[in-house]
Amino acid sequence: MSVTARLGALSARYAFLLQQLVLRDFKVKYKRSVLGVGWSLLYPLLTTAILSLVFSNVFRFSTPGVSYVAYLLTGLVFYNYFSEGSNLAMSSILANGSLIGKVYVPKAVFPLSKCLSSGINFLLSLLPLYLVLLVTGTGLCWQHIYLPWAVGCLFLFTLGVGLLLAAAAVFLRDIVYLYGVVLTLWMYLTPIMYDVSIISSPLLRAAIALNPLAQYIGFARTVLLLHRTPEAGQFALCALSAIGTLLVGLHIFRCNQDKFYYYM
Amino acid sequence: MTDEMIRAEGVSMRFCRGLETGGTLKQAFIDALSPARRAARRQHSDFWALRGVDFTVRRGEVLGLIGPNGTGKSTLLKLIAGVLKPTEGRIALGGTVCPMIELGTGFDLDLTARENIYLNGAILGYSRDFLARRFDEIVAFSELEDFLDAPLRGFSSGMTARLAFSIATVVEPEILIVDEILSVGDLAFQAKSEARMLRLIGGGTTVLYVSHALSSIRRLCHRVLWLEGGRVRAIGEADEICEKYEHAAQESVMNNE
Repeated sequence: MSVTARLGALSARYAFLLQQLVLRDFKVKYKRSVLGVGWSLLYPLLTTAILSLVFSNVFRFSTPGVSYVAYLLTGLVFYNYFSEGSNLAMSSILANGSLIGKVYVPKAVFPLSKCLSSGINFLLSLLPLYLVLLVTGTGLCWQHIYLPWAVGCLFLFTLGVGLLLAAAAVFLRDIVYLYGVVLTLWMYLTPIMYDVSIISSPLLRAAIALNPLAQYIGFARTVLLLHRTPEAGQFALCALSAIGTLLVGLHIFRCNQDKFYYYM
Repeated sequence: MTDEMIRAEGVSMRFCRGLETGGTLKQAFIDALSPARRAARRQHSDFWALRGVDFTVRRGEVLGLIGPNGTGKSTLLKLIAGVLKPTEGRIALGGTVCPMIELGTGFDLDLTARENIYLNGAILGYSRDFLARRFDEIVAFSELEDFLDAPLRGFSSGMTARLAFSIATVVEPEILIVDEILSVGDLAFQAKSEARMLRLIGGGTTVLYVSHALSSIRRLCHRVLWLEGGRVRAIGEADEICEKYEHAAQESVMNNE
């Protein structure tokens, strides 16, 4: 068999495995609930309702020129995907420890399948987002064709972080707990509920500007809320942070994957 | 040579005993502060599960692996299945490997039997076409037609094992790894599964078989590899090696008394 034929057979084989794993994750998630997949639609709507009540009435946050609810939901849908995907990917190697010790499978399929199955949830939660865009009178525009750029970057970034954490968690279980704290901090450093303009500290502003999640959410908001084409710099910055993170995560994962077995 | 299916050359495998329990933040700090202590801990806990193991298996041959507990039999199977990489030496394989080490790993209890057949088949490396073609055969062999759409959570352990065995053996792999699994299910199913094993063996599949039941080793294997303390103690014709092994085991019992 030639090298290319062998590679082709190999990727076909693992594509089927990947598909089965993604399907499993998705099916199992809502298996025992009455509303089932309906939760993927309802959950972002309910959290947005609560957060918008709290922040626009109690703290009097507002976003001049655009609907606050639409602003909030855009950030939330993106952040929720990152939080869920990277968290599940982090635990995926540990959770499949017994399998990894018995059958040979390329270990990266586990974090990848988690990022993909969370991706189905993400795509479903775009439905309530579009509903809110219509209801709030924000409306649609042709610039929406750029949205996949932000979504793609979000996916690659989440996968990169997930791979990195999955490998790290095998060697140091404390990472799992530590990451919960990091995620809380990360959420507040991402302009989900507030607009960057309310931040006065230049240091905090710089931190937010360097935050890849803020870049992707900013990109999506430019398209969805302002109906503008993002600047070339925004396209480049998003792709750079996403691909860079993915390469780092992939490299660390691959360098360490042969050692996972001993730490399970 | 083309009919050589497994060739192990000077295979050694080292484990670090201390590492499995490590992996806490405290240990990481101690290690970071004192690399010398870390190295000492490492060296102290090194442990060779296999040392300089050489053997070859020809196409269609059934090789039995025997030896006391903890002599590296399962480690050797894992090396051949590709789950582990040898610390030293190399292993060359002449075909596809199907590991049957502990059946049912990778089942999801929340999924139905039907869904698990696809999931488990994918984990074992079967293609979608292959599973679609052999689905009915898997179900028929497991005798679980009436429970196909019930979640695995409600299955008895015997039912789960029957399903796992049926999935694992539907394929005709070139190299089959069997780690004490013939005692699955009730008596009728045991007879059926042994018949299937014999058919696989008769069909030219190369088999590596680990068991402590010397009677089944004698019945199924052409040759036997006797491992002790991670080294090859003897390799050769099944009856001869089994006899020597039994003799040595009896002697060590008498010495202890």
